[in-house]
Amino acid sequence: MALLTPAFRRWSQWLAVLWLGVVVLVAALAPVLPLPYPPNSPDLANIATPPLEAVGHWLGTDPQGRDVLSILVFGARTAVLLTLPAAVLAAVLGALAGGAAGFWGNATRLAVPYWLLGGGVGWWALQLPVPLLGLVVAAVGLGMALLFGVRKQRFPSWPIPLNAVVVGAATTLDTVPRLVLVVAMAAGTGVSIPGLLVLLTLTSWPLPARLVRAQMLRVRTLPFVEAAQAAGISPQRVWMRHALPHALQPLRTSLPLSVAGLLGLESTLSFLGIGLAPDVASWGRLMATIRNEPSAWWAFVFPALCLIISIISLNSLSRHRAAQEKLLP
Amino acid sequence: MTQHSLRKLLCITIAGLLYSCSPQRADTDVIRVRWSHDPETLDPFQFSNQASLDAVNLLHLGLLEVDLTRLKYAPVLAESLPTTHLIGDSLTELRYTLRAAAAWDNGCPVLASDVAFTLKLMFCPDLPNEAARARFGFIEDITTTATAPRRFTLVCRGQSLEYLVASGDFPILSEAAIDPRGQLRRYSLRALQRRPVTAPADTVLLDVARRYRAASPDQLPGLLPGCGPYELVAWERDRYLTLRRKTNWWPDAQLQPVPAVLQALPKQLEYVIIPDAATATLALRRGDLDVYPQMPAREYARLQTSPSTSNPLRLYSSLSYSVVMAGFNTRQPVLADALTRQALSHCFDAAGLLEATQMGAGTRTVGILSPANRINYNDSLALIPFDLKRAAALLRQAGWQRGPEADAGWVRAVANRPRQQLALRVRYRAEETLFATVALQFQAAAAKIGVPVTLLPTESGTFSSSVHTGDFDVYVRMLNGNPFMFNFTPIFHSEAIGAGNTTGFDTPASDHLIEAITTAETEQRRAHLLRRFQALMQREMPVVPLFFLPNRVAASSSLTGLQVSSLKPGYAVKTLVRAPQPSPAP
Repeated sequence: MALLTPAFRRWSQWLAVLWLGVVVLVAALAPVLPLPYPPNSPDLANIATPPLEAVGHWLGTDPQGRDVLSILVFGARTAVLLTLPAAVLAAVLGALAGGAAGFWGNATRLAVPYWLLGGGVGWWALQLPVPLLGLVVAAVGLGMALLFGVRKQRFPSWPIPLNAVVVGAATTLDTVPRLVLVVAMAAGTGVSIPGLLVLLTLTSWPLPARLVRAQMLRVRTLPFVEAAQAAGISPQRVWMRHALPHALQPLRTSLPLSVAGLLGLESTLSFLGIGLAPDVASWGRLMATIRNEPSAWWAFVFPALCLIISIISLNSLSRHRAAQEKLLP
Repeated sequence: MTQHSLRKLLCITIAGLLYSCSPQRADTDVIRVRWSHDPETLDPFQFSNQASLDAVNLLHLGLLEVDLTRLKYAPVLAESLPTTHLIGDSLTELRYTLRAAAAWDNGCPVLASDVAFTLKLMFCPDLPNEAARARFGFIEDITTTATAPRRFTLVCRGQSLEYLVASGDFPILSEAAIDPRGQLRRYSLRALQRRPVTAPADTVLLDVARRYRAASPDQLPGLLPGCGPYELVAWERDRYLTLRRKTNWWPDAQLQPVPAVLQALPKQLEYVIIPDAATATLALRRGDLDVYPQMPAREYARLQTSPSTSNPLRLYSSLSYSVVMAGFNTRQPVLADALTRQALSHCFDAAGLLEATQMGAGTRTVGILSPANRINYNDSLALIPFDLKRAAALLRQAGWQRGPEADAGWVRAVANRPRQQLALRVRYRAEETLFATVALQFQAAAAKIGVPVTLLPTESGTFSSSVHTGDFDVYVRMLNGNPFMFNFTPIFHSEAIGAGNTTGFDTPASDHLIEAITTAETEQRRAHLLRRFQALMQREMPVVPLFFLPNRVAASSSLTGLQVSSLKPGYAVKTLVRAPQPSPAP
């Protein structure tokens, strides 16, 4: 396969980086770009006009008279501002959860008063039935902690099933298709940009968590970690300063894939009309307008191309990083 | 398994697949009609959305009904139009006689006692009958006689031209089905009407209301049988609603010839819920639909330029009395004053919207009366121009001040109240592209003068409840009218706040004018009052009427008897017949 020669791969990497760079640049500069029309201003004299037919509408207008080019530019901004933070937040959340699960497993223990304190505050914060009961339990926990502290007695402790909780939660989230989960949650709560960001983050952390956990299981048995523990450094410090940085390696490869997945998910939600508000420009929403005007191919083809090229570029970037990692000693 | 039997199995599978993929032959007895959304309810007392009205009109009959093709009221359960007798200068008596043939499905005749029961039910407490109360509150009493059980007299407050037809336009319910012991008979209609809201609970009335609700007329009208030509067979929400023609409907055997308004030719009507316009057009082209009423302009134009080959279509167009309008929630402090509402009305580009969404067809208007109604339309009023400078000037006049920054909003100081910030939420039905375009245009225009607008596309059922509970600042919707009745009580009178008066608008002057219109004695007087009413509404601006829509209907050419009307639903469904298909040549 001549197409898969190293030279072609190198060029495809550069093209991918170039495209993604352009998308990020356009997203950052969208408000100051000299676009002929704002994205939400309908040009009522030019409804569903093909490209280059109306003055200033270089890529045509959608069935509501909005400029397709402007929607593409501001759609890129929405995509970047939504998917990149969501992917990073999911990676951070997944790294912390997976790293902790991999490092401590189910073995670490917590003193009973802290269990009561945490459980009570959680009960109250989640406003479970009789929230006051949560506060009472938390107060009992606090009282016990103070009492034991004054008497300098050793607390009784219970194990924390950290690994089981993290793996269980990740498995539970993975068993429900992500689109179904997000649609159900969005339908129940309604969606704003911050809400969608939280939704995407909460449904995307299991993959980074699994990757980091698996890596952590290997890292925690390496000599330098054992040496640090033998030197008397606290487990938290060993975890944070020595083990975790080495366990994050897989995220370099998975982050672009995560962004690609989120980009596709956001577009799907917007296409279905359950994503962002109608006045937020989105590639998926622009594609959905084809349903109102099936002959307006330009309202579908241009955003679809942007989406396809972006996802291919992110996949290509991910493959490149995976290849780089294989070359590492 | 042998190779021979395997081949046989493969052939059967392929044949089965081909059969299941081939288009189904249309059932000649079924007429399929597109609805964009489900009826909100089938309760005959809740005049909610058009789909509800369509279904209720097929399940129940009134005393009178509009003959859609002649645009005139015709007697249905009544033998003829009522005779009118003016009593003094403040009362009108309308004398009705029911058709001798009119009967319920069990063969029992429809009697004056059923009419009295229906009217009393409209004023029975603890029932969702607010809309009916506002609409038929002018009927003060009903008198019946034991010796002539089909005759009755309606006593109406005031004297009005409209009483002749308005008094008979409500579905009649069976007393035997809900109140077999005749418990409501001991109450007069007048007593029920005058019963204060704060009156102590009456066990008899509560019992009747409980039995009515138990019949679930909103969901299962089978428990509340009507004397209409159809019965509900199935209702799958978001999918379809099927009605079947009764085999024992009373006019079939009793009336010869059957009057036009009592004809019901389709043996089965299937209303298919297809929210998306393009999908509905595709279904029509494929022959999965027979009638597509209220077709959007672009879909209609597309069918005109590229006719369907698999299902030849006929396209019809006429005037309509449906006006697209925006409504302001006058209960919101920022929208309580007329000047602010006037200012915002200049942010709607009605001419541009008409051109963009209706391809120029349709008519701009100064009010909610159609310009086609030449006698009553106030042509001395000017159309509201799209003028953002004027909008900003009027906002300043209304006391609003804008900060010096370009993106600063408008604020207003009000004595003894928190400072007001002008920011609006616009609610509209999510699946309607027309409303979405209006909202988007308003948002863009308002943004230019610094008024932030949030768009709230809302699912159909939620939209109705949100509008009724006042959970909006501005809404965009359609209002259906007609050329012969001008009773604005259910939508603009203070009595209807919380029911049909969704804008919450009420002033003593408007209430007085609405009452005067409903009781106008001559056409000239009514026209004069209607013109004043339009002027008042333009001054007060609780709603911004944008334009009247044309009525566009596309139907399969295999149907005959399709009569298009300018009244909703835009065509007469009961006269539709599928022409016999030519049998294949031997």
